[in-house]
Amino acid sequence: MSRARPPLALRALTYAGLSAVCAAVLYPVLLVIKKAFEPGHSFALSPSPVPEEVTLEHFRALWSATGAGGEPLLARFALNSALVALATTALGLVLSTTAAYALSRFRFAGRRASLTAFLAVQMFPATLLLMPLYVLLDRLGLLSSLVGLVLVYATTAIPFCVWTLKGYFDSLPRELEEAARIDGASAWGVFFRVVLPLARPGLAVTALFSFMTAWNEFILASTFLTEESSYTLPVLLKSAVGEYSAQWGLFAAGAIVTSVPVMALFYLLQRYLVGGLTAGSVKG
Amino acid sequence: MSAAATPGGAARAARRSALGAYAVTAALALAIALGSFVLHRNRSYREREHARARAAAEAIARGERPAAHLVAGGLVSAAQPSARYPFLRRRLVDGRPLGGPGAPPGDKILYDAAQRAEREGAQVRFADPDGALVLAARPAEGGVAVALVEAPGGPAGLPVGLLAGLLLLGALVAAGGAAAGPAPRALGLAIGGGALAAPSALWGGPAAAALVAAVALAGAAADRLGLLARAGAELRRQRIAYGFLAPAGLAMLVLVAVPLVVGLALGFYNHRHGTWTFVGLDNFVHILSGGGRALSDPLNFYFTLGVTVLWTAANVLLHLAIGVALALVLRQSWLGGRGVYRVLFILPWAIPNYITALIWNGMFQSEYGAVNGILSALGLDRVSWFSELATAFTANVCANTWLGFPFMMVVALGVLESIPRDMHEAAEVDGASAWQRFVHITLPHLRPALAPAVALGAIWTFNMFNVIYLVSGGAPGGASDILVTEAYRWAFERGERYGLAAAYATIIFLILLVWTVLGTRVTRREAPP
Repeated sequence: MSRARPPLALRALTYAGLSAVCAAVLYPVLLVIKKAFEPGHSFALSPSPVPEEVTLEHFRALWSATGAGGEPLLARFALNSALVALATTALGLVLSTTAAYALSRFRFAGRRASLTAFLAVQMFPATLLLMPLYVLLDRLGLLSSLVGLVLVYATTAIPFCVWTLKGYFDSLPRELEEAARIDGASAWGVFFRVVLPLARPGLAVTALFSFMTAWNEFILASTFLTEESSYTLPVLLKSAVGEYSAQWGLFAAGAIVTSVPVMALFYLLQRYLVGGLTAGSVKG
Repeated sequence: MSAAATPGGAARAARRSALGAYAVTAALALAIALGSFVLHRNRSYREREHARARAAAEAIARGERPAAHLVAGGLVSAAQPSARYPFLRRRLVDGRPLGGPGAPPGDKILYDAAQRAEREGAQVRFADPDGALVLAARPAEGGVAVALVEAPGGPAGLPVGLLAGLLLLGALVAAGGAAAGPAPRALGLAIGGGALAAPSALWGGPAAAALVAAVALAGAAADRLGLLARAGAELRRQRIAYGFLAPAGLAMLVLVAVPLVVGLALGFYNHRHGTWTFVGLDNFVHILSGGGRALSDPLNFYFTLGVTVLWTAANVLLHLAIGVALALVLRQSWLGGRGVYRVLFILPWAIPNYITALIWNGMFQSEYGAVNGILSALGLDRVSWFSELATAFTANVCANTWLGFPFMMVVALGVLESIPRDMHEAAEVDGASAWQRFVHITLPHLRPALAPAVALGAIWTFNMFNVIYLVSGGAPGGASDILVTEAYRWAFERGERYGLAAAYATIIFLILLVWTVLGTRVTRREAPP
């Protein structure tokens, strides 16, 4: 923050430190890229992150894998993952936005209790909601269906969205809403025309995290989904490096295919990250 | 107000408000009555149908042919090696071999039932999820007597007429009491709301009746004290707020509260081979007493708790230190390429964390992992990472630090941006050193603003299933497991001990709840006004 440049030695030390962190951050990623393009399935002992041979065989194997009916598996799983993640995000945002706004702006009986409840359910380990949810979904005939999985993900997405958005609404100035009310807008009008457009960064970040959580989740998916036709990408990837076979080449190729869409989304929205997130978690 | 101006109008208003209070009380009482009805109905249905199937199996054991409702059954012989294929074991039912081409579909059920009865003795259970088929098996002379019996007619239906009549009667009593004055009004509410206690006693015993009576009395008291009227007024006054809250609130009630309550309740049951038995606090006592294991045993609760606390503390400290340090450095205006560094450093956050965990698992493999590759390239000994607690724990912490520090860095960057620049400039003009500016300006701003992020990060780390499960997998022998993975293993990897796992989950939940409540107290006190 200081205008004056510190002494050369300190600057050199800083750059050296930053380079070390860069190396640590990039090294595992480079290893995966290397493995994805290198022939063979086991990790080579060589710690060099540069591949010795380059081939596309793993991507080709991934692409050409077909299910029992001859349908391409990768496309199928990617579609399942995308549907589940999008539906979870939409459900979470639609249900939580108004609630977050109410918790931020109105002072009503039961407000503190609701806030505590929305926070407390985030502490119950989701893995352990597994058993009761399994029994309930079985009764409803939704086991192994993507709809069931969306409902399961919504249990964590809704409280998370409520808290993050509530924090963001807290950081927005109230003056505009008050002015709109004086001009005769209804509560809904204020919410839709004034608050929602202002809250776009917060909504974007919340949507991003809901999407990433659903896209990345594997333990619930692998417990609930028992039919291959409804698998999501994480289930596929985990099975590539299962207990009995470690096909690291296939895994690495799959990891790249799975990560690239979320990484693209993440970097697209990262300029909102500081504003949208810090307001949420800091003022919470 | 105008209605209350005339005597008749006042009575009408009193009746209406009393009916409102009655509706709230009666809804709660009805929920209890319905609950006890369903439990009672299922219990008596189970007892009746189990007894029927048991009787059929006994008849078969005596050599009689049971009369009605038998779908399949007979005396199943002990398993004998097949004459043609000695590796196949076959059983006969009443002289006919079970299974084989063209065999009736019930054969497999009979075979399995005989197998289980030989192992575990006489038993009876529903053979399908709807409870329309009952299977009973008991050892008998010459084999196992097995009866698959169809239940004639389903469970008893809901007595809608009775309940509706009682509700109407209760409403009349409540309205009548309200018209007579304040004291009869409370009495009318208590009696009217308590009317459902009678059928509840029939179905759920004295406990259910007492619960209904308590609800009715509480409703009457709340009405007398004006609590219900006030709640109603608040609901009307803030109807926009409650309307806004409703979608998420209802979804939480259905999707979270129900499984949560079921999950908490499961902790009081023991699960064995598909049957649940109520065991009270046994699971909790078992866990909290260490389960008869030494403190150094990885399956001892306190061992796992220690690992979990250490795991959380180590990760949060590392995330905080690295994240804040990087944020401070990236704020320096003399630094070139700040944007590039920022974009690079959030890379781990963008990668799905299970992929990160699997990558680090690969990197720490002792035979082909990159970490040992680097060590031997440096001329150091290779380490068998997952065969000792300390090294496995280190591997987990490495992976989690790698994927977690960007969150803290981004939060810290946001906080630093919110510190007014002129404060620093003024301090600099006044001759404050960089260190003094950090201690007296930056740190006081950072601490309260980072506290919620640290609390959230600690909860996430405490429950960080993926990293533990996928990097070390709890190796060696469950030693590096934290509480959530331990609970998961009890449910899904160590003999379906769902009850014990649910008790674990409850304990984890309580630990976090207490910790958060204490934590928010402390941070609230520390935060500047």
